[in-house]
Order: sequence, then C-alpha cells, then structure tokens
Amino acid sequence: MTAKTSLLTPDARTKRRNAAEARFRLYGLIAVAVAVIALAGLLVSIFGNGSSAFRQTTLHLEIPLPEDKLDKSGTRDLEVMKKVTTIGYAKVLANALEAQLDAQGISVEGLKSKDISKFLSEEAPATLRNQVLEDPSLVGQKITLELLVGGRIDGYYKGRVTRETALLDKNVSTAQLDLADALKEMGLLHTSFNWGFVTAPDASEKRPEAAGLGVAIIGSFYMMIVVLALALPIGVATAVYLEEFAPKNRFTDIIEVNISNLAAVPSIVFGILGLAAFINFAGLPQSAPIVGGLVLTLMTLPRIIIPARAALKAVPPSIRAAALGVGASKMQSVFHHVLPLAAPGILTGMIIGLAQALGETAPLLLIGMVAFVRDYPGAPMEGFFDPATALPVQIYNWTQRADPAFVERASGAIIVLLIFLLAMNAVAILLRRKFERRW
Amino acid sequence: MTLGMVFLILAALALAGFFLGRGRALAVAGGDARRLHSLPSYFGWQAVLFLALPALGLTALAAFGGVLRHPATGWVALGLGVIGMGAALWNTGTEVRARNIVETCVKGLLILSSFIAIATTLGIVLSMLFETGQFFRQYQWTDFFFGTVWQPNFRGGSDLGILPLLWGTLYISVIALLVAVPIGLFAAIYMSEYAGPKFRSFAKPAIEMLAGIPTIVYGLFALITVGPMLRDYFAQPLGLGTSASSVMTAGLVMGVMIIPFVSSLSDDIINAVPQSLRDGSLGLGATQSETIRLVVLPAALPGIVGAVLLAASRAVGETMIVVLGAGAAAKLSLNPFEAMTTMTVKIVSQLTGDTDFAAPETLVAFALGLTLFVFTLGLNVLALYIVRKYREQYE
Amino acid sequence: MNVMRQTDDATATAEIKIAAKGVQVYYGDNHAIKDVDVDIADRTVTAFIGPSGCGKSTFLRCLNRMNDTIDICRVEGKITLDGEDIYDKRVDPVQLRAKVGMVFQKPNPFPKSIYDNVAYGPRIHGLARGKAELDEIVENSLRRAALWGEVKDRLNAPGTGLSGGQQQRLCIARAVATSPEVLLMDEPCSALDPIATAQVEELIDELRSRFAVVIVTHSMQQAARVSQKTAFFHLGNLVEFGETGQIFTNPRDPRTESYITGRIG
Repeated sequence: MTAKTSLLTPDARTKRRNAAEARFRLYGLIAVAVAVIALAGLLVSIFGNGSSAFRQTTLHLEIPLPEDKLDKSGTRDLEVMKKVTTIGYAKVLANALEAQLDAQGISVEGLKSKDISKFLSEEAPATLRNQVLEDPSLVGQKITLELLVGGRIDGYYKGRVTRETALLDKNVSTAQLDLADALKEMGLLHTSFNWGFVTAPDASEKRPEAAGLGVAIIGSFYMMIVVLALALPIGVATAVYLEEFAPKNRFTDIIEVNISNLAAVPSIVFGILGLAAFINFAGLPQSAPIVGGLVLTLMTLPRIIIPARAALKAVPPSIRAAALGVGASKMQSVFHHVLPLAAPGILTGMIIGLAQALGETAPLLLIGMVAFVRDYPGAPMEGFFDPATALPVQIYNWTQRADPAFVERASGAIIVLLIFLLAMNAVAILLRRKFERRW
Repeated sequence: MTLGMVFLILAALALAGFFLGRGRALAVAGGDARRLHSLPSYFGWQAVLFLALPALGLTALAAFGGVLRHPATGWVALGLGVIGMGAALWNTGTEVRARNIVETCVKGLLILSSFIAIATTLGIVLSMLFETGQFFRQYQWTDFFFGTVWQPNFRGGSDLGILPLLWGTLYISVIALLVAVPIGLFAAIYMSEYAGPKFRSFAKPAIEMLAGIPTIVYGLFALITVGPMLRDYFAQPLGLGTSASSVMTAGLVMGVMIIPFVSSLSDDIINAVPQSLRDGSLGLGATQSETIRLVVLPAALPGIVGAVLLAASRAVGETMIVVLGAGAAAKLSLNPFEAMTTMTVKIVSQLTGDTDFAAPETLVAFALGLTLFVFTLGLNVLALYIVRKYREQYE
Repeated sequence: MNVMRQTDDATATAEIKIAAKGVQVYYGDNHAIKDVDVDIADRTVTAFIGPSGCGKSTFLRCLNRMNDTIDICRVEGKITLDGEDIYDKRVDPVQLRAKVGMVFQKPNPFPKSIYDNVAYGPRIHGLARGKAELDEIVENSLRRAALWGEVKDRLNAPGTGLSGGQQQRLCIARAVATSPEVLLMDEPCSALDPIATAQVEELIDELRSRFAVVIVTHSMQQAARVSQKTAFFHLGNLVEFGETGQIFTNPRDPRTESYITGRIG
C-alpha cells in the first residue's frame, strides 16, 4: 500500500470524486429547477393569456326606442313585436350611436356608417331585443344600457389588437379604433369586471366577446353531484368489503388487481365505454350531465377505493378487537368505530378524486359534450338529462375556433377551472391537517 | 311523475319507515327494548332497506333498459318499495333477528359494490370487442394491423391502417419519456437524498402541482405557447417544418406532465431502499453520489423500471395534449417537427361529430380503443407485477 | 466532568491511534454525549459497554463522522486520528472513512454478488490497478474475514443469499478490503445466533493483529471475551475506562459495579 497520507490534504482522486459529487448534485438541482420552471411557464402563459377574459369593454349608450321601427302596430302585442328581428334592433342601435356621436360633437375621420354599425357586438342587438320584449312599455322611450362592443374593439384595450394589425384585418378599421379612443375620452366606453364570462352561456363563432361559462359550470356541477352521489357510497362500500370482510382468495385477488388496473386505464377508454354502454345500449341522451357523471364515476371509483382502503388499513386492529371484545358484531365494529376513524382519509381521497374528475376532458368528448349548447339545463333531477357542456370541454371547444379572442376565453376558462381545483385541493389539505392522526 | 319527485317521495317514505319500524318494534315489546332480539333501530333500518332496495334496484334496471324516464317507472318503483316496506313492518316481533337481516343486506350491498369494478372492466372489454367484431366483418384485419396508410373517407373505400397512428403514438411517448424519466428521476433523487426540509417544502408541492393540472391545460399550453415557440425558434430556422403542432410539441409538454408521475413513484421506491445499505456504503468511504449510483439505484432499479412502464402507459393513453399539440395528419415520418397523430386523436375524431355506427370509419375507433386498452393493460400489469415483487423484497 | 480517568499504564505499550478529548454530541436539544475523553490504542480491541441509550453507539459513529449524515446532530470537542483532527474543515469525511471502516449492527450486504460487495470499497477508492490485483484484494479480505473457504466457489452469487453470520463476515470482509487502520463495529453480533457470534468473535481477535478495533456491545461477556480495554458509558457519560480485566474484576466506580453485577441496565 501507499505511504501514510494526511487527512488534511485531499489527494487527487478524492478531489476528482468530490467534483463528480458536486456535478451529480447539480444535475438533481437542475432537474428540480426544470420542473419548477415548466410549472411557472405554464401558469404564466395561462394567466398572461387568460386574465383579460375577466375584463370586458362595454359602451354606455343612450338609446331612443322608436315605435315606428319596433312596434308598427302600436299595440304592444308581444307576438307582433317578436317579428322584429335582431337586424331591426341593430339598426336602432346604429342610429342611437350615430346620434350620440353627433350630440357629443365627436367626428372621426374616415368613419363609415358600416364601421359604426359593426362597432358594437352582434350580441348587443339581442340584448336590447330581450330587454324590450320583456317590458314592451319601454318602446317610445329612451333607455340607457351598457352594451358589449365588438371583440376587436375589446381586444384593442387588451393589447390583442393594435393599429398595425387593424390595417391587415378586415374585421376592424383604424377609424373604429379612433372612435373607440374618442368614446373612451368622453367616459362612455368602460372596461369593467366581466360577470358575463362566468354566468353567460356560450356564444357563436363570431361573437367571442359574449361567450361565457354559465352552461359549462352548471354542467360540470351536475356531473360532480352525480359522481359524488354514486362514487362515494360505492367506493366506500367496496373499500370496506375488501379491507374488512373479503376472504383472502383468488376471487378477491382478481378484484384487487382489477381495481389497480382500472386506475391506470386511459381515460378515453372510459369515454368509449360510456358511448357504447350508456348511449348506444341504454339509450340515455347525448351531451347529458347524467351520462358524463356516470362515465366519470366509473373512472373515479378506483381512484377513491385505493386511498379509502389505505385509510381503513391505517386504523389499528386493536380498535376492531376492542369493539368485538364487548360483543359488537363485525358489522357494528366497522360502522361504529373503524369507518368514523377512517373518514377523514376517505374524504380527502374523495375530494382529490373529484378534482381529477372535474378536469377530465377526453371521455366527455366521446359522449357528445362538445355540442354547442346555449340553453341552461333545468333544475335537478330532470336537468341531469338536459344537454349541457362541461368546463374542460368548453375550453377544448374554444380552442377549436378561429377567432384569436377565443384563446383568451379558453385561457380564462382554465383560470376558473384551476380556481375550482385549487379550492378543492385546499379543502383536502385542510381536512388532512385537521384530522390527521398517527397511531 | 318526474324522477326528482320519485326520489323526494322515496326519501320521505324512508324517514317515515324508519320511525314506523322502530315504533312498531317497541310497541311489540311493550316498550321494553330488552325483550327484543335486536335493537329497535334495526327494525327501522329493516324497513328502510326493504323500501329502498327494490325501488332503487328497479330504477337502475330501468336506466339500463332505456325506460328510466318513462312515467310508469316511478310508479312501479314506489309501488315495489311500499310493498317491501310493508313486508318489513309485518316482520316485527321479539324473536325476529332484525340486526342479522339488516347486516346480511348490508353485506350483500358491499359485495355488490365491489362487483362494479369487475363489471366496469367487463363492460369495457365486451363493448369494445363487440364493435371491433363488427368492424372486422367489414374491414380486413390484416389491412388494419399492417396497413401503412390512414385515410378515412366517409363515402367508403377508406384506408384504415393503424401503423401510422401507432408510430405517432410511440414517437411522442418516447420523447415524453426522454424528458420525464431523467428529470423525474433526478428530481426524486435530489428531493430524497440532498434537499433540506425548507427546499423540499417548497419544491415538492410545486412538482406535485404539475400532477394536479388537468391535461386540457397542458393541451392549451402546447397549442398557444410551446408549439409556436418551437416553430419560430427551432423548426423554421432549421428548415424542418412550419407546423406549430408537432411530435416535439406534444412530446415535450407530455413529458412535463409525466414528470411528477415518475418523480413521486421513484421517490417512494428510493425511500424503500433501507437506510442500512446507505450507511454501509457511506461507512466504506463512498461519497453520497457514489452511494446513490452504485448502491441505491441498482437496488431500486426494478421499482424504477416499473414506474417508467406506468409512465409509458400514461403517455400512450394521453389524449388532450396530443389532440391539441400533435396535429391530425397520419404520417410515418422521422422529423420530430412534423405534425403527426396518435391512436387517441383518431378515436376522438372518428367518434365526435356525425357518426354512423354501421360504417367502418366509425367502428375503427373501437378497434383502436381495444388496441390501446390491450397495450396499456399489458404495460400496467407488467409494471404492477414488477413493483409488487420489488416491494416484497424489502418487507 | 468525568469522574474516571484512564489510569492504567498497560496502554502505554501500544501506540495511541485515536484520541478523543472533551467530546460533546447534541441531537437537536438533547445532549447525548457529555464531555468524553478516550484514547483508542492501535492493535487493540476496545469495547464500549453500557445500558442501551447510553450513547456508546453515538460516540462510535463520531469516530468516522457517520453522524454527519444526520442533520440535527452536532459534535463538539476534539478527536484526532494519528494526531490529525478529524473534524478539521479540511478533512474530507470520505477519505476519513476509508481509513476508519465500519461494520453495522445488522448485516447489510449490498444486493450485489459476493465479489462485488467486497470489491466495492477498493473500486471507489481506486485501490487496485487491475483485475488481478482486485481479485487478490477480494481473496485476502475474504480470507481475513474467515469466509473464503465457504464462498470461494460462488463469488458471483448474491451476497444477500448468505446466512446471517456469513453476511456479517462478508460485511467485515468488505470493510477490511479498503485497508482501513481502524475498524469500528456497532454491536456486530446482536443479530446473530451463538455459533455465528463465536465465529465473529474469533475473527475480531485475529483482526487485532492488524487494526485498532473498537466494538460496541451490549453483552458484557462478549466485551470480556474479545477486548483488552473496556469503556463503560452511562447516560452519555464515560464512567470508567481501563483494562478489561480490571473493569470486570475490580471496577472503581459504583455505577460500573452495579452494571456488571446486573443491577442496572
């Protein structure tokens, strides 16, 4: 062997080895950093694109409602008045805007009358028409409304549309932007919180400014109710049976292996199952929250059973023995003692499973949830069978549309979805913190 | 009668049945519960169960028979329930073992529940087998499994070869694993062997958060951020393509999605390696990285292989990221910056919109689904087997 | 302060290998080792005895800085190996541990072949220049651990397949293979049956001819059988340190007496 070496002076080999150690450590740090940066990039991208969906530009407009245009008969008969379509109301709006411009003395160079009529959203005439049909006595009077402006004008205040892009875009002219600036200066054009985004139903391809998540949120909510009502009892029952009652035999083994496999089956396969079993075979309606809820229930079940079993397993056998020892039946020992003690763990697993189900998209595409739905579904239980859409599917739907304003909507919808998920996970974490018990 | 009404009435009946059953039992016993075999509340539960089981059972049957919303369904369900409840109330006496009856019913329900998992698997397999059978009656199976062209045509005469889709699926999955496995593994090593508690308490939830984000979010990220970025900074300057959707886009984003999957499984597995092995190695003068590379990782290898297989099964079955990030063109190409497509994308595109369940162009989706199911099932079973064997080794 | 000081003159005959002076160990707020002074002589077996939880294992782990791997552990005082402070900033624990090997309570062979287990240390420290030299180190180490005869035909079999006693001797061979100067053994026989224990004890006696051996044991008989010097620890204090014969026949401290007569522990 070599001569005695001093501990105080590291030899060359040790130096090399320590360098390798430092490199290895650095790789690990880089790996963590990459993952965290990816998360940050994802969130920044979504929030950067989506936060503007929560603000919306509206025009404060004074509208005279001329009787000769809206109710020629003068009878205020709803059936007659319904014959005036949104096109008629669009003209009223255009006139009102023109009149207001004249009154305020605003003149914009190169502003054509088409620019004025296209300045407002296509949704605006419908809003006005609904208002009038609701209260026919308004005809002949002057009302003021906050009306949606077109998606491009809205985009102008969110940085999506600039004067340069306007030159290349046939849907907007620089004159309209000048008009918008002028109106803004007069205090007639506001940008405020966009409640419509959370409450309104979806809107067609040409009016992204009016598209909202109302139907999707209700649809998702209904599906979650179905999942909760079915998956919680079935999941807990299965977990209790397998953990407390099932004999150890081949058959139980098969059920167990089967459950862990189901947890890893691709979600789209559950969509195929839903399509074949619930829609084609059982004849349930397409696009209905009940079908979505059933599919998500089957998908979520194994993801609830596994943590529920873990929670039951964590209850020490001495508790069972104590209950049996005072003459309780097996069933009583489980339902009176074991289950209540395992409840926090089971609930936590349930909430996390529910959160996963809320974000699931692929299986819902196959059971027709992509349909364009503008009508709110009815109240439960009948409402479960009405067509609806779901939050993640609505997001997918908007990504398939051409107008870039829908990218903002889709990102905004993701923010809404993430807020729901965050809230659910926070509840799960709180539950775990509050009730966590170590034996 | 609406379904909601039926459920409301059932709930009210159940409440009444409970108190009736309990009251009757007490009355029979002359107010002295000790004379009964079972506690009075078990007679109440007996009434509730005998009401709910037939009524709900019929409703479930009706749902599968497609007559759930038929007006008669509600009446029949209520009628059956009331008959059941009547029988339960009649079955009251000091010798009646209500607790045993209730417990037998409950145990039956528990067993029934655990059958649902089996039924789900059976349902998946049967529904897909049936439709796939239909498909192969109209389309040569050799053309499906060995065809290199995918060109569905709803007027007939389609080419439905799976190979381009399989290629796209595997190509994207491999890229995803190339991203996720090293990053996930190194992150797990760093977290479990090096990181201090402060660092861990911040980085671990951050990585776990990646797992909680729905795949549609990753899809949108691929579509609006990663895709255009790759196109502008890599594909176009290198002359490799002009498409924002590409194998690379989908692969990278899917890789990020799988990172927490690999890292949390690896973390468990690395932590299962006994501390005594680490001590043994450190006690011989090995550095920490030598200990990890030469002792911990080889010991954990089977478990890590299992984790990678599970991650691979995830990647193969992933849908939304590829729908939004990979494109729709079925191609057999090596260029990772070209748009390609996967089995899952085609399942979605063949089964959404107007579908005709007699046409091979629609039915092929079931054949694709079955292939995907068998493929992922194989990976899962293998992975679970390996992981289970590995766990036993250290127990 | 410790009541007890080393008084015997017999130690003077052997060179001092490790000298510990005023060593304190804290686990968080817990003062686990209180002001311990010990001199470990070369080519001698030193036994640390005492009731469980007395700090003997903790102190042993200070001698090759294995306590560094525990975050909340803090060591104060001075421990020198051949006169060099092992807690000096410039000292690399990796190099230190190559000189001060360690054998643990439970046999912990790596899940590798017998050969790779023994070759592990020489490989990471680069002790062999070629395959032949490595083979030689492995053979010598296994011989020194009295295991060669039993395993020479199955060097490629997994080390985990051996019996408990064989595993522990494999771990000793593994520690010997890096040519350490000191061998620390933390209750090396506590997981073994009596026959395997006897084999390992015999081995320890042979190892004394080349190394300084420090053995922690909860068995007083074992300490009496294998060691020349014995240190008795109690509640983190070194109560008494001296010739093994003297400690067991004529303890100076009443606590030592109580322990060896079985009244405490």
